[in-house]
Amino acid sequence: MSGDITPAAPVVPVVPDGVAELDIVGVRRGAFGVEGSGDTSGFGGLVSPVVMPGATPRPFGDGFDELADEIELSIRDRNLPVDSAVEKIVVDRGEITFHVRRENLLEFARMLRDEPALRFEMCMGVNGVHYPDDKDRELHACYPFLSVTHNRRIRVEVSAPDSDPHIPSIVSIYPSNDWHERETWDFFGIVFDGHPGLTRIEMPDDWVGHPQRKDYPLGGIPVEYKGATIPAPDNRRAYN
Amino acid sequence: MNVYTPIFVLGALAFGFAAFSVVIASFTGPKRYNRAKYDAYECGIEPTPQPIGGGRFPVKYYLTAMMFIIFDIELVFLYPWAVAFDQLGAFGLIAMMLFLLNLAVPYVYEWRRGGLEWD
Amino acid sequence: MGLEEKLPSGVLLTSVEKVAGYARKGSLWPATFGLACCAIEMMATGGPRYDIARFGMEVFRASPRQADLMIVAGRVSQKMAPVLRQIYDQMPNPKWVLAMGVCASSGGMFNNYAVVQGVDHVVPVDMYLPGCPPRPEMLIDAILKIHDDIQDMKLGVNAQREIVENEQLALAAPSTLEMKGLLR
Repeated sequence: MSGDITPAAPVVPVVPDGVAELDIVGVRRGAFGVEGSGDTSGFGGLVSPVVMPGATPRPFGDGFDELADEIELSIRDRNLPVDSAVEKIVVDRGEITFHVRRENLLEFARMLRDEPALRFEMCMGVNGVHYPDDKDRELHACYPFLSVTHNRRIRVEVSAPDSDPHIPSIVSIYPSNDWHERETWDFFGIVFDGHPGLTRIEMPDDWVGHPQRKDYPLGGIPVEYKGATIPAPDNRRAYN
Repeated sequence: MNVYTPIFVLGALAFGFAAFSVVIASFTGPKRYNRAKYDAYECGIEPTPQPIGGGRFPVKYYLTAMMFIIFDIELVFLYPWAVAFDQLGAFGLIAMMLFLLNLAVPYVYEWRRGGLEWD
Repeated sequence: MGLEEKLPSGVLLTSVEKVAGYARKGSLWPATFGLACCAIEMMATGGPRYDIARFGMEVFRASPRQADLMIVAGRVSQKMAPVLRQIYDQMPNPKWVLAMGVCASSGGMFNNYAVVQGVDHVVPVDMYLPGCPPRPEMLIDAILKIHDDIQDMKLGVNAQREIVENEQLALAAPSTLEMKGLLR
């Protein structure tokens, strides 16, 4: 199998509108399990950066400015470290995301629930994300919140390095997050400290590994036909 | 012929059919042992282990049964009085009211002592 | 006693086989093992339009102790596999298994870590029914083919002879990969 083939022209990533800053969190080479070979599909030589929108400068528009101001005021009121609790605020495609440091997550969540101006009563679960190339910020946990009184939605994102995948559990503040955190542990390996019973919920109890990480194989087997074998989907079109 | 004969015949036939089925099945059926066939059915998972002897019974059930017996016997005495009410007249009414008053005293005692609370 | 396994061979046995086969297929009670989308088609088959009550099968027994036929309808995940085996073990003999849909027969479109690639990795299957999901008419066709198998089922000495024969055939049979030249 030949080594890396540099493409003729660099692949330009699709940049969303109105975003000033871009964070490159990884590079994607090839697709569908094809690595470095020039197969006829052309996917083998694909090199494309994986970009996420970076911190958005003020003003945010769309009513997000008042919300960010309220959150900043509440942070000051509760004596959280103002400059470091919220790492960055991203407003993209009509949604606002607060990247919060994991040490301040519990206080932040309590503030979201209890402050009269914020009142985010519902936490819609935890979603795990794995960025294998983003050193020291590999595992993210996304918490969407909904405020019924103010009719608002925000997202809180917390990151943890792969070497220390611990994030405090917000089950004591939002009890409905129990099974969602179990699922995120099951599929990504993020350990939620303070969870009342963090066990596997969808894979069998003695399963090894965390299936939804990017480096976990698909696990398919080759399919046997009369006179032919078709390999599993992630092994096809590898000409070796 | 007795009016109830058809019912007796039907009862005998039903019993005979059931007995015949069970006996024939125990004779002809294959006996293939499998440990899971003797496990309690719990939707396919290993059954939750039960404490020995079935565990302890709450004593509330015993108390409820005792109270039921007492007031049920009281009702049993009310039935013949209700049937023969016309012939018994005022004397019967006064006697039955005294009887009910007699039983109202333990009822109020039980009520106030908390015997009617389940928890 | 298990007289069924000790009957002497002869004309009498053939008649007993026919009667027993007819009785067994006439009221084959299925066990509910509807796991996913194929369960919807199984429910539709139990409904009035594609009635399986006309074959005596409208009672889907929830308890495996009273069931004869386990219709595995849907994909079996790794977590569900021991549950499937336990339910199969708790069914009394004689019992049959119908793998309904491609996911139960071979893993279907889900060739990954989470789905068992064919329920025959877990239980012995008598009839495979492809389809995603198979139409109720296809399910009824598979059930009627099982009925024919049950009608022809042998008892006693004939059954033992048949088992030995089937084993010889299976040992001599080529694997799927060796059956070349059958694809157009």
